[in-house]
Amino acid sequence: VFGARASWTDILRHDLPPAFDALKLAAREVGSIQIQNRGTIAGNLCNASPAADGVPPLMVLDAQVELASATGTRLLPLSDFILGNRQTARRPDELLVALRVPRASTEGASHFLKLGARRYLVISIAMVATRIALDEDGRIAEAAISVGACSAVAQRLRRLETALIGRQQGADALDAVSDCTFDELTPIDDVRASAAYRRRAAAEITRRALAATSDALTRAGGTGARAAA
Amino acid sequence: MSMERIPISLEVNGHAVTAEISPVTRLSSVLRDNFGLTGTKLGCDAGDCGACTVLVDGEAVCACLVPAAEAGGKHVRTVEGLSNGALSALQSSFLRHGAAQCGICTPGFLVAASALLEDNPSPDEQAVMDALGGVLCRCTGYRKIIKAVMDAGMPPCRRVLATTRPLSAPRPSASTGCRKCLAPTGSAPMNGPKTRSASPWSDRRTGMPSSLR
Repeated sequence: VFGARASWTDILRHDLPPAFDALKLAAREVGSIQIQNRGTIAGNLCNASPAADGVPPLMVLDAQVELASATGTRLLPLSDFILGNRQTARRPDELLVALRVPRASTEGASHFLKLGARRYLVISIAMVATRIALDEDGRIAEAAISVGACSAVAQRLRRLETALIGRQQGADALDAVSDCTFDELTPIDDVRASAAYRRRAAAEITRRALAATSDALTRAGGTGARAAA
Repeated sequence: MSMERIPISLEVNGHAVTAEISPVTRLSSVLRDNFGLTGTKLGCDAGDCGACTVLVDGEAVCACLVPAAEAGGKHVRTVEGLSNGALSALQSSFLRHGAAQCGICTPGFLVAASALLEDNPSPDEQAVMDALGGVLCRCTGYRKIIKAVMDAGMPPCRRVLATTRPLSAPRPSASTGCRKCLAPTGSAPMNGPKTRSASPWSDRRTGMPSSLR
């Protein structure tokens, strides 16, 4: 559970399982250190920018938002909370008070990559979060991939995730990315990049993030240590 | 915005101060307009430029994004609080490296860098870039600023020679010393008389041996 006022710096300093590495990597790239010290995870979500760095890492953790009002609280999956560019399901009388990550989604290792024109104080051209968990034979048992800044709301790439299940890490898994057409994405042309560039960039950073996730799993000893949240 | 004024008390650069303000006034405005601390510059008022960086309870933040009421009871440090009568090591290093041009970003860089140096007195280049990434400079191109911060914590014999060596080159180790501190007998002094080395222009004026340029 993350309290709504947790800042990016708070998240970075907290000891979290490897499945949260994507979120930590995103926390390091939000704005600048000055922004990370002030900016909160809930603010990032309620602002509902298509390029919000916090959304893809939370999507691969199947995060749920907790909304509270005078009449009670409700839980919504993150993908049902952010409805569009700057639009959320939050009613005017509600506050986002917490984020919850189901324990079942804290398996494996994760990674996050952001492509921008510079490292800091930059709005993403494309970004991706990946989370992979392996079965006992070292095959991919669980795959979660979310791409941001390439559609009005960041999206899970369900078809690619399905294609990855049962594959070996490494070349076998990366073949699945090469075969993926990224049809779910609807990138736009704007001042930061063209739609075609965004689509190609999304494919490339997905490939790199998956490779980095595999490296993390290998370092952790193969099957991805079960998270102790 | 019309909102009732409220009293706030906080500590700025070690002094207890109070002000009566609308609670949504930006801390940057209160520092400048109420306390006269105009070293904190205003650039974008949106957290994009870092010119107004100050430390609140030791953490670097953009003062334009802090409602002043939230700073109540906290310790705020501005660029004016970095020196104590004399220039700090960091400020001297900026001067030595000529790490300022128009100067509007300089207070933000000094405050952001001092936050880094407090945690990590001898940061590597990546750490310096991470710490300074939130401040924009449109004049100098950052290299002199990065060198100045890396040098600030160094004793003279371990400083990067401002104009002669790329940052990627290994630093002289403390045991072997460097050309500046332990120049072989008979060689020309690098920067002329010691007393002039504090000037950022001394390298040009004293005419270093061309082999060292």
